[in-house]
Amino acid sequence: MICSNVLGGCLGTSGPMDINPATNEPWGLNFPVITIGDMVNVQRRLIDHLGIDSLFCVIGGSMGGMQVLQWAKAYPERVFAAVPIATAARHSAQNIAFNEVGRQAIMADPDWCGGDYLRQGRSPERGLAVARMAAHITYLSQQALHRKFGRNLQDRAKITYGFEADFQVESYLRHQGTSFVERFDANAYLYITRAMDYFDLAADHGGRLAEAFRGTRTRYCAISFTSDWLFPTAESRAIIHALNAVAANVSFVEIETDKGHDAFLLDEPEFLRTLGGFIDGCATLRGFVWA
Amino acid sequence: MGLGTTIAAPLAAADRQAPRPALPPLRADLKLIADMIPAGSRVLDIGCGDGALLDHLSRTKRVDGRGMELSQEGVNACVRHGLSVIQGDVDNDLDPYPDAAFDYVVLSQTLQATRHPKKVLESLARIGRHAIVSFPNFGHWHVRLDLLLHGRMPYNPMLAYTWYDTPNIHLCTIRDFIGLAAKLGLVIEQSLILDRSGQPWRLAAESRAANWLGEQGIFVLSKSGR
Repeated sequence: MICSNVLGGCLGTSGPMDINPATNEPWGLNFPVITIGDMVNVQRRLIDHLGIDSLFCVIGGSMGGMQVLQWAKAYPERVFAAVPIATAARHSAQNIAFNEVGRQAIMADPDWCGGDYLRQGRSPERGLAVARMAAHITYLSQQALHRKFGRNLQDRAKITYGFEADFQVESYLRHQGTSFVERFDANAYLYITRAMDYFDLAADHGGRLAEAFRGTRTRYCAISFTSDWLFPTAESRAIIHALNAVAANVSFVEIETDKGHDAFLLDEPEFLRTLGGFIDGCATLRGFVWA
Repeated sequence: MGLGTTIAAPLAAADRQAPRPALPPLRADLKLIADMIPAGSRVLDIGCGDGALLDHLSRTKRVDGRGMELSQEGVNACVRHGLSVIQGDVDNDLDPYPDAAFDYVVLSQTLQATRHPKKVLESLARIGRHAIVSFPNFGHWHVRLDLLLHGRMPYNPMLAYTWYDTPNIHLCTIRDFIGLAAKLGLVIEQSLILDRSGQPWRLAAESRAANWLGEQGIFVLSKSGR
């Protein structure tokens, strides 16, 4: 099982926080803008380096799902099975809009310093936290938020008629924002969200998504979640229709849950059982022996 | 995107199902349909339910099988079982398929529940080189008698729904079906008229007797000249 960190990130593979060998200083905004295709090419080089010819199954959710689709398009002969989860073949206008809100929050923070904060010994923590707070809302659902928090108050008996975090949901979001800042780099956030915005699998094919998959022999299983409004089921259905148009081998399930986009990271028994069944079926076809 | 969120522990090995536990024996009419499909064919089973036919075909005839099913439970059961099935609606989700994408397209006991049976039948014949369609016969003597003697909408094991909550919005007789096939220029390559237990009568589909005695019909259709 191979799980690599993403190009442009800040937790392993090269990103804007790393040192530019030409200047001996952090790349910052001199780091080139990267695409989902670049991320997949780095992964392809990794498996080349590992001496792996073909992958049994490429699985990913959200931006990882975009990488799955990119893998299947760019290297069809190296992908036996593909599982794009809670994803889309192109980033929607609404999702670009949410990403832009996050980026503007970061860039509006004076500590961002035009992207040069590392050299200047500062950190746009407030901007990055706001970006994360806005994004975090999109990972949940109206029902899940209300079930979890309702209008419950945080450590107080009455509302204060002020701008403290009166409500539990506010406190929760602030916590999500501040804890994210501890592990994530603001410029990496800009680069990665931009890579998602630029993703459009059909762009090289005159907007005809089916053409991206023509001739594919990969087995696909797309999975979506009923309450995911960031990557709603219609996005998965568009992928399925394109795959059907080239008579590809596809499965598609929509999992009933109120947990929103985040469901793909959570313990959803029906989701895991279905995914397990698909992988087992592929393993049998591939001739793997069930031990 | 979920950057850096914690990931739930995977299912423990004991919770996972062993691959492909055997399904119960095939329903009689599905067995007859299976017998019509040559080994190694590309098959699309529309309204595939729990995947019984696809599973049988992939085990016994090495078909390249796909399914489409409306109910989410059905789809999930199929995919859990290792079958390639998508959630979809026969009225809306056939258009993307290219012409002659499959050797056989199967629509069993579903035509009468579609919104546009004529368009569905056309699509089946377009995307499959052969279409296999089975449906309950509304011309069966029992149905006619229910209306004639009791003045009630038919209610029997084949049509086990009350008139006010039936999914069957486009019921037809065997003769009606043959008429529609002719109107669409489809050739009937093979037909079977079944009794209540799912056994075939030795009756020609065009005969009056077939339309009186058959509880259901199975037809193999293709576009003329193919």
